Amino acid sequence: MAKTNPRRFELKAFFNMKTALIVLILLLITWFGAAFVMDQKQIFVPGETSKGHHLFEASCKSCHEGFKPVSNDNCNRCHEAELAEDKHGVKKFRDPRWGEYLEEVDVLTCTACHNEHVHMFGRGVHLHPDLCMGCHEGIINGDLASHDGFTRDGCWTAGCHNFHDHRASSTAFLAAGLDQPFMLPQPELPELAIAPSQDRVPKADLAEEFLGGGA
Amino acid sequence: MKRVLLSVLLCGLFWLHSSATATAVTQARLDEVTEQWQSSLHAVSEINCSSCHQDAESEAFIAQPTYESCQQCHEPETETFLLGKHGIRLQEGLSPLTPAIARIPMHKAARDLVMNCNTCHDVHTVNTYTAAVDACTTCHNDAHTQNYPNSPHAKLFANAGELPRPDAESVTCATCHLPRQTLGETDTVFVNHNNTYTLLPRDRMVKDVCLNCHGLEHAYNSIFDDELVEANFDQPPNQKLETFDLIRAFEKRRLGS
Repeated sequence: MAKTNPRRFELKAFFNMKTALIVLILLLITWFGAAFVMDQKQIFVPGETSKGHHLFEASCKSCHEGFKPVSNDNCNRCHEAELAEDKHGVKKFRDPRWGEYLEEVDVLTCTACHNEHVHMFGRGVHLHPDLCMGCHEGIINGDLASHDGFTRDGCWTAGCHNFHDHRASSTAFLAAGLDQPFMLPQPELPELAIAPSQDRVPKADLAEEFLGGGA
Repeated sequence: MKRVLLSVLLCGLFWLHSSATATAVTQARLDEVTEQWQSSLHAVSEINCSSCHQDAESEAFIAQPTYESCQQCHEPETETFLLGKHGIRLQEGLSPLTPAIARIPMHKAARDLVMNCNTCHDVHTVNTYTAAVDACTTCHNDAHTQNYPNSPHAKLFANAGELPRPDAESVTCATCHLPRQTLGETDTVFVNHNNTYTLLPRDRMVKDVCLNCHGLEHAYNSIFDDELVEANFDQPPNQKLETFDLIRAFEKRRLGS
């Protein structure tokens, strides 16, 4: 009795296991299938998507071409305006004087700093905030008196420096604006100039179509 | 079983009926819209009903025009809209954005509003007064938005009265977040609807927008003050950024004085 009972139990367990597996696989297939059919592909997202990108995380193909690494071209499709004057761009690093610094951080590859679905330190950056120190450590260690003793991770997290766009934080720009009054002498926003092309209103060219309830 | 089938059928019929009435337009509504259009800038700019409600090639009637209709004339506005948070889902072929998807505070009642051009824009009056503030506050429910009425900016806007579009003195939500800019090297002014570009006010908006009116130190001292941003700049800044002392000292050394 004592010998046969465990065997019977094992067989039963195996049978149950098999059924359970089949049910599980069927469930998974249904679940994944439903995700595709119902356009809920965000269930495939392997980790939290960064602020902004989470809005379209269900559209995998927006960034991914199959299983290939995400290319710069893909990022530039949307971020061209932000990178129009990229201070850490191709122009600078194709110059052999700066080229060797690419070994510290491969700044010409967007995903070197902006990976996705991993922990972010803000601004879609997954590298530790002291990433600037790879090349600019001298700044806080005596090369620039004004920045002596600054923390290693404060350059961009404090909001002073934008890695790509220096236009609003360059010393020259800030120096040019010192001691300006609270309101500029001629506060001015661009005015939208819209001029009508006709001097009288024509007749509406559709009417019945609207009453039909729409096609 | 019969009962179940019957209820499914009834539900289906009800759904068909309600969706039909949702798009049908009454004569009264049509008259109202026609009148709005007649007094709009569109009417005297060669934009008639068919410009938006009819497909240019097939001449098929379009009951609910999308951004594609607007894009025919408002190219840079639409292009930038599609690149920003409000339009990116449309650009990527998904359903339009709704406040329910957002991770920032939104009004519960607005959860299911779908984001298209006409969500914010009154397309028949072509009046951008509503789109400048009221449209934003319909969905956005964070402290900065709630505190806009306390801002001197809001008072400028209120003083200007209801115009077809905010004048150059009014400072609205759109003035800063969807700023008027010149197109490339041209003199053409357009409204940059890419709110990803101006998303981080401290390094782009401050230069592109605040400095149109304010001195640099005032602008930076304000925008780098979290509490003041939250209060929507209801008072002048108290802080004096150390950065400016550094730059003053640097300039002094540079000029050798």
